[in-house]
Amino acid sequence: MRFTLFRPSTAAKYAVVAASAALVVTTAGCSSGGESAGQGPNGKTEVTFSYLWTGPEAQALEKVIASFNASQSQVEVKGVSNPDMQKQLASMSSAKGSFDISDGFGNQVGSWASKGVLEPLDQYISDDHVDTADFVPAAMGQMKYHNKTYALPIAVHSFELLYNKKLLADAGVTPPKTMDELASAIKKLTKVGAGGNITQLGLGNPDLPTSITTLGYAFGGDWNDPSTGKPTPDKPGNVQALDFYAKNVVQAFGADKVNRFVGGFGPYMSAQDPFQTGKVAMEIDGEWRSASITSTAPTMKWGVTQIPVADPSLAGSTQLTTSTLFIPANSQHKAAAAKFLAYMVGKDGMLPFTRALGNLPARTSMLDNPIYNDLQNFKPFLDSLKSDKVHALSSAPGGSQYATDLASAIDSVNRGKASAQQALSNLATKTAKYGQ
Amino acid sequence: MASKRPVAKARLRNSLVGLGFAAPFIVGFAVFIAYPLVASVGYSFTDFNLFQTPTNIGLANYQAMLHDDRLITSIKNTLLFAGVGVPLNIGIALVGAHLLNLPVRGQPLYRAMAYLPTIVPVVVGAYLWRWLLNPQYGFVDHLLRMAHLPDPNWLLEPGWARAAVIILSVWTVGGTMIVYLAGLREVPKDLYEAASLDGAGIIGKFRHITWPSLTPITLFQSIVLTIAYLQLFAQPYLLAQSRLNESTAGPGDSMLSYSMYLFQSAFVNLKMGYASAMAWVLFLFTMLLTFALLGSARKWVHYVNG
Repeated sequence: MRFTLFRPSTAAKYAVVAASAALVVTTAGCSSGGESAGQGPNGKTEVTFSYLWTGPEAQALEKVIASFNASQSQVEVKGVSNPDMQKQLASMSSAKGSFDISDGFGNQVGSWASKGVLEPLDQYISDDHVDTADFVPAAMGQMKYHNKTYALPIAVHSFELLYNKKLLADAGVTPPKTMDELASAIKKLTKVGAGGNITQLGLGNPDLPTSITTLGYAFGGDWNDPSTGKPTPDKPGNVQALDFYAKNVVQAFGADKVNRFVGGFGPYMSAQDPFQTGKVAMEIDGEWRSASITSTAPTMKWGVTQIPVADPSLAGSTQLTTSTLFIPANSQHKAAAAKFLAYMVGKDGMLPFTRALGNLPARTSMLDNPIYNDLQNFKPFLDSLKSDKVHALSSAPGGSQYATDLASAIDSVNRGKASAQQALSNLATKTAKYGQ
Repeated sequence: MASKRPVAKARLRNSLVGLGFAAPFIVGFAVFIAYPLVASVGYSFTDFNLFQTPTNIGLANYQAMLHDDRLITSIKNTLLFAGVGVPLNIGIALVGAHLLNLPVRGQPLYRAMAYLPTIVPVVVGAYLWRWLLNPQYGFVDHLLRMAHLPDPNWLLEPGWARAAVIILSVWTVGGTMIVYLAGLREVPKDLYEAASLDGAGIIGKFRHITWPSLTPITLFQSIVLTIAYLQLFAQPYLLAQSRLNESTAGPGDSMLSYSMYLFQSAFVNLKMGYASAMAWVLFLFTMLLTFALLGSARKWVHYVNG
């Protein structure tokens, strides 16, 4: 007698069911990522807002979303925290996106816009009466590609010189205003122990490429051609900035010694952060440190001063970066998403959001708002945005490759393997071939 | 003749049943693996940025690879990782397997300890090693200083950064070791007894009995490890990772592996066509190397039954 689990006819039926199930599962898998929410249960247009923020920042954002929803009779926003940028890109590459509005960084705008991923916002800006003249000009510069606006800044970040008040007082140093004073301060504030090992660094760098590019502006340099956005890494001011760092930090104390000391630093913005633990006397960093130092080192005495400059006419020079909101070209509810975008970059959205995150507002009319008064040392950052010497790296296509190559050139100088002139001239040769 | 038709019908039905049950896999494989694989061949001949319609550019991606400095750096790094990592892995696994085969007390515990790093997630392992190799507080440099040996700036100097990648990769040698151990225990004991009677020493027994018996395993491990090293991604990516989730490639691009650069080309620089070309070059090179290893097997691999 032959044992069979199913009779053939029954088995064939099951096989058909199994095959159909496979197809359903497969096709359902395909569609689940590509379908955008439509009408909500209450008849409102449902807009999906996928954002990269997580944790407390996401909670702050959800509060703003809730206040928008409460004010609306036609649009309902559903927030989704999704910090995976690869998923964000993948969704934007499909015919129907999984979200209607999302956030990114200013230096991506031109690159993404050139690829047709972003929806031009000019018509919505006009329809929703968003006053773009009120935004910090350098921030708006990053939002445009071929004279069209493809994103709006929800928050901006500027860089200033942070210093440890106690360490400067102990060494008899006043906050430097010029590059000569900065060089002198670095020398006095860097301490070397037995065997030439560094025990305290005068000028630390949470992110060396950002420090060097910021110093480049303070030397009168510019990392992009203002009219074309093309990379200009070997401009004299840029070379002087990198050379300043090479001479006053790398060569003065030894690349090996500096890197060994830096290698032992605790995690950035943690309780073991080198600036907060007194290992670093000064550093170039952004306004977000106000909230983070208050949280992890509340008793620390620290101050903020403008980036020292090579010439008095350059006073107020700083670098600005932006956090943006954009509508992907494959959004199914662009007009509704634009309404929410207008709310987010308005007073009711931007003020509570930037205050909760300890970030700078992107609009000049909000710079003197008292909501920021309780943030320690925040005013110098707010004031920095009023300067006409605020610069931002171009968001032109090829920016990510430029950032990688620039970081590599700066790294070679930091390791003592190349001079500033050599590294940036070689980079200029390389960038001239971009897009060829 | 008349009885053949029902038989044929039954066979067809059986085939359909089989296909039906295999359908979930077949459909999934076709849609999610086979199609992207075939499509990537086409994309490798295009300028494709993930968002816009690809434009045909012929062999331009392959030609561009010849003049790409970072690609050449990544190839050199990857070949170095594989060239040092594979023999080192096999050597350590072979010695370790012998030690784990010794009749000593607590041997099962030692075997478990040797295998333990293999089950530690690579992210955890990488962050553990980042601390161990910290030049100021790291345990490794602390030990080296106690022994009056040079204490390198791991992860901050190109040469030592590459060494760190290999150390992190070799840390999970326990898996290979256990396979060798299983092979060692399969070697017939009477061969060793006969060799002893013939006056063979430890080295003679290893050379004439142990090594030939283990050559099939060594061939398999060489192929598997070579493929793994050529595709090395997580270890250098995690060791080179800097703050804010920005991924660098270590000092002087010293940790830039081929797969890391492929990922950067695809998802950071959005050059999908170029990344597809890179993927196919890697695939063809891996296949050639695998065939070369298999081809060389006739000269050095000893099969008991053939």
